[in-house]
Amino acid sequence: MGETALVKEPVIKIQGFCKSYKKQPAVKGIDLSVERGEIYGLIGPDGSGKSSLMKAIAGVLSFEQGELEVFGIKVDSESAAELIKARLGFMPQGLGLNLYADLSVEENIDFFAQLRQVTPAQLDQRKRKLLGITRLDKFRDRPMKNLSGGMKQKLGLVCTLIHEPELIILDEPTTGVDPVSRGDFWAILAELLREQGVTALVATAYMDEAARFHRLSLMYDGHILAAGEPEFICRQAQGSLVELSAEPQIQALDQLKNHYSQVEAIGSRLRVFIDNQSSDQAAKTVSNLLVGVDIKAIHASQPELEDAFIALLRRQRLSEQKTNSHTVPRFDKPLLENQGIAIAARQLTRDFGRFRAVDQIDFTVRQGEIFGLLGANGAGKTTAIKMLTGILPPTGGEGQVAGADMRYAGQTIKERIGYMSQAFSLYLDLTVIENIRLYARIYGVNRDIIKQRIAWVIDIAGLTDVTGQMTAGLPMGIRQRLALGCALVHQPGVLFLDEPTSGVDPVGRRRFWDILVHLARVEQVAILVTTHYMSEAEHCDHLALMYAGRVISDESPTNMIQSLQQEAGQLLEITTDRPLETLALLKQAGFNGAALFGKHIHLLALDIAAAEKQIRALLDRQAIRLIDSTIHAPTLEDVFVYRVLALENKERL
Amino acid sequence: MNLSRVWAVAYKEWREVLRDRLFFTMAFVLPLCIFLVLGWGISFDVEKIPFAVLDQDRTAMSRDFLHRFIDSRYFNYKGDVRSEREFDALLAHSDIRFAIVIPPKFQERLLAGQSTSVQSLIDGVFPYRGQVTRSYVSGIIANFNRQSLAGYLTGARGLSQEQALSRVAPVLLEPRYLYNQALRSQWSMASGLMMLVLMVTPPFLTALGVVREKENGSIYNIYASTISRSEFILGKFLPYLLISCLNILVLWWVVMNVFGTPFKGDPLFYYAASVIYVICTAGVGLLVSLLVQTQVAAITLTMVISFVPAMLYSGLLVPIESMEPGTRFEAHLFPTLYYLRISWGSFLKGLGWAELWFEVAALMLYAVILWVVGYLNFHKRPRR
Repeated sequence: MGETALVKEPVIKIQGFCKSYKKQPAVKGIDLSVERGEIYGLIGPDGSGKSSLMKAIAGVLSFEQGELEVFGIKVDSESAAELIKARLGFMPQGLGLNLYADLSVEENIDFFAQLRQVTPAQLDQRKRKLLGITRLDKFRDRPMKNLSGGMKQKLGLVCTLIHEPELIILDEPTTGVDPVSRGDFWAILAELLREQGVTALVATAYMDEAARFHRLSLMYDGHILAAGEPEFICRQAQGSLVELSAEPQIQALDQLKNHYSQVEAIGSRLRVFIDNQSSDQAAKTVSNLLVGVDIKAIHASQPELEDAFIALLRRQRLSEQKTNSHTVPRFDKPLLENQGIAIAARQLTRDFGRFRAVDQIDFTVRQGEIFGLLGANGAGKTTAIKMLTGILPPTGGEGQVAGADMRYAGQTIKERIGYMSQAFSLYLDLTVIENIRLYARIYGVNRDIIKQRIAWVIDIAGLTDVTGQMTAGLPMGIRQRLALGCALVHQPGVLFLDEPTSGVDPVGRRRFWDILVHLARVEQVAILVTTHYMSEAEHCDHLALMYAGRVISDESPTNMIQSLQQEAGQLLEITTDRPLETLALLKQAGFNGAALFGKHIHLLALDIAAAEKQIRALLDRQAIRLIDSTIHAPTLEDVFVYRVLALENKERL
Repeated sequence: MNLSRVWAVAYKEWREVLRDRLFFTMAFVLPLCIFLVLGWGISFDVEKIPFAVLDQDRTAMSRDFLHRFIDSRYFNYKGDVRSEREFDALLAHSDIRFAIVIPPKFQERLLAGQSTSVQSLIDGVFPYRGQVTRSYVSGIIANFNRQSLAGYLTGARGLSQEQALSRVAPVLLEPRYLYNQALRSQWSMASGLMMLVLMVTPPFLTALGVVREKENGSIYNIYASTISRSEFILGKFLPYLLISCLNILVLWWVVMNVFGTPFKGDPLFYYAASVIYVICTAGVGLLVSLLVQTQVAAITLTMVISFVPAMLYSGLLVPIESMEPGTRFEAHLFPTLYYLRISWGSFLKGLGWAELWFEVAALMLYAVILWVVGYLNFHKRPRR
């Protein structure tokens, strides 16, 4: 960790930490230490114990076992906890939920300042600076409730920082926030880190944010699976990741599944994790294994964090084992073999009062295609789905499903649609099988086949072991599959899924996507899915990026990335011995897109060679040592950020 | 105690109440609504009792007898029936609540000096109303008896009407109702409802004010900052105290001007006692906020623990004296009883410090206990 580490005593020191809620253990023995000036990450799915741990560190939650020291003060009672509070800032989970909706931006800040005894002179100066960095200065008088998600999150950060704490604890600050605001957020954090030597403990559910941290802990079910620098954790997984594209894909997938338990299909690619083999070995092993399949491309590399997470889980036997030889059941009647258009939005628009939630969006989804609607909270995804399923009438334009205008669609059309809503549609005090039976009745499944159909749902959703269990007690991942099963009970040809995997752990997400891929490839179901996980978007055949009610890009993921490469170039990752200074230097030199990722800096450059040369010269002049520079393909997140910024720039002109 | 932090919380809270339409309604409109609805709605005056008649005699005397009912403001004549069976349907559908049957030979027997009986059927579903109806009927019959006896004496002894009447009823009841001379239940009700409304709205506001922050997570701003427990509680409570103090004045005005109840006591005493009562009831809200996590639960629990004792154990609907010993003991455990005494004493009886100091002391004790318990159980580092 860079130039800010002056004192070597850790800011947070935890040993054997345990926390239960009414005898239900939430955190089961954790050791952790965070050094001064670090950005330390806690990464894990919902319910892994991140929030409990953070609250305890912030002194706002008591715990039963273990030792916790913050700034060298032992936090073991309410009065001891008071001693650390002046020096730390805590932002709880939930976008802007800890702010006061009816107060303006400035009033919110002032309240936090008064609470923290900031003098008016200090307040004035800090407010001006923080509002400037966050670009909130134009909205001083706007009530907090009228801010966008990204702005709320930035305001929350300003309020947390107004008393200049030495340690900030941020609980999922980036969940549901659009990538542009997310980038802003990390930039602000980096800036503060440089100026004040703040230490930050940040929780996130996004595995792809791991690179932003100096060090991190991977959490699952109250345990720490692995801790350390991101690269270190990836190495701990001990294995290689093989990516390949092959024809026919389904056949290759089946063959791989018979031999390996960590296999997934993403779009046209297949990804396999091979234990205990180096990259070269692994690629060979896989190509030798596949029989009767035409391998188009194969490439092996070190696993990414998400792959490592799953591999580690698998090794510690914490995750449910997948049955490999399982044959997924087919639909009773195959859907009509038409490759026609299943879903079409034409200039679809919806206003709520003066607010335009969805602004003239256009897209089409074919039978057998997985279509992703990607965007932050409040981008208009849910509203679009509601119009397409006929729940909400559009203000303008039309939405068609199976060729029928949803405004006038009759029951027969609606029976061809399956819909899994964002909020759980399950009855928590019914058992799994009771929920399925209820939905079967609601969808009017014929009495003669109802038993058989329920068995089919249990089979396809992989619920065999839990049929008699109460829904309330199920883990998120299984509940999600149950909800999907319930939406499939009438074997619809078109499936709408509204943020089906938010808060689900990576293993659960993969099993979920396995089912979706099967439905699309084998049964030719058309699937429209919304998500704010950029990494998940790569599963889709075809994507629409939504921003402020508009579709800003509509292509296949590969094409999206390719066209970004043509327009903006490749991603250059630079590692130096003084990353914060390097970042400032690059920004001065006109690399506006430069952003800090942990110890690395990312930037897009059309002419990589020229950029690299220029950067070397810059660094030499400041005697900063360039440790490494590598070229990567940009990600979908880069695409999103680039497109939105381009749009904003165009509008400003 | 750092006053600037108290002020920060209080001022923030105040602005939120004013800007949040729902909360504003809850603070200023709801108390008035409850008050008016219950004030006009609950009346114990039993008047205009609908009734029907079966006159099997049809003579001058029976008509005279019946007219004593028909002309009374307590009864509302709905008509004659031809047979007793017709009453069943009328009573069952609540078209009438009382029926009277004049037997055949009513006049004949009376003139012959024989006694006769008049059958009254009274709807007993609501016992209080039934009893009042019965007492009206027996009053009218007693009056009729007295007059017919006096008439007989006039004829037989040659006494003047007045002399005869005083012989018949040598001792007359002359009631003079104190404090509420016209026995208007609305006067008692309106002044008593102060107790009810001030029992319900301050705890609502306090409980919701705290639980709202718990529910959306902004309470963590408090937990994670250096503000002390007492500073937060005080800051949170001050705006609601201010609102309640305003509400006392508004309701007071309504009691006097809308319901026409006179105020005979010491205004300063009554206002001070009311403020203490409000502090006390707001303390109930604080306790509720410690027990629950959601606003819905807070509303339900507050409703149960404030409304029920205010209605049943305060003495507003059922006099304390007529309660079972166990119930009476329970009634003394709730602050509502003491404040109702203060309220009635101030409005109707003109009492003040000298007579009601004990009740005020009881409320103070209450307030202290509630707030101390609340304070001790509010933690910035809770278990969940």
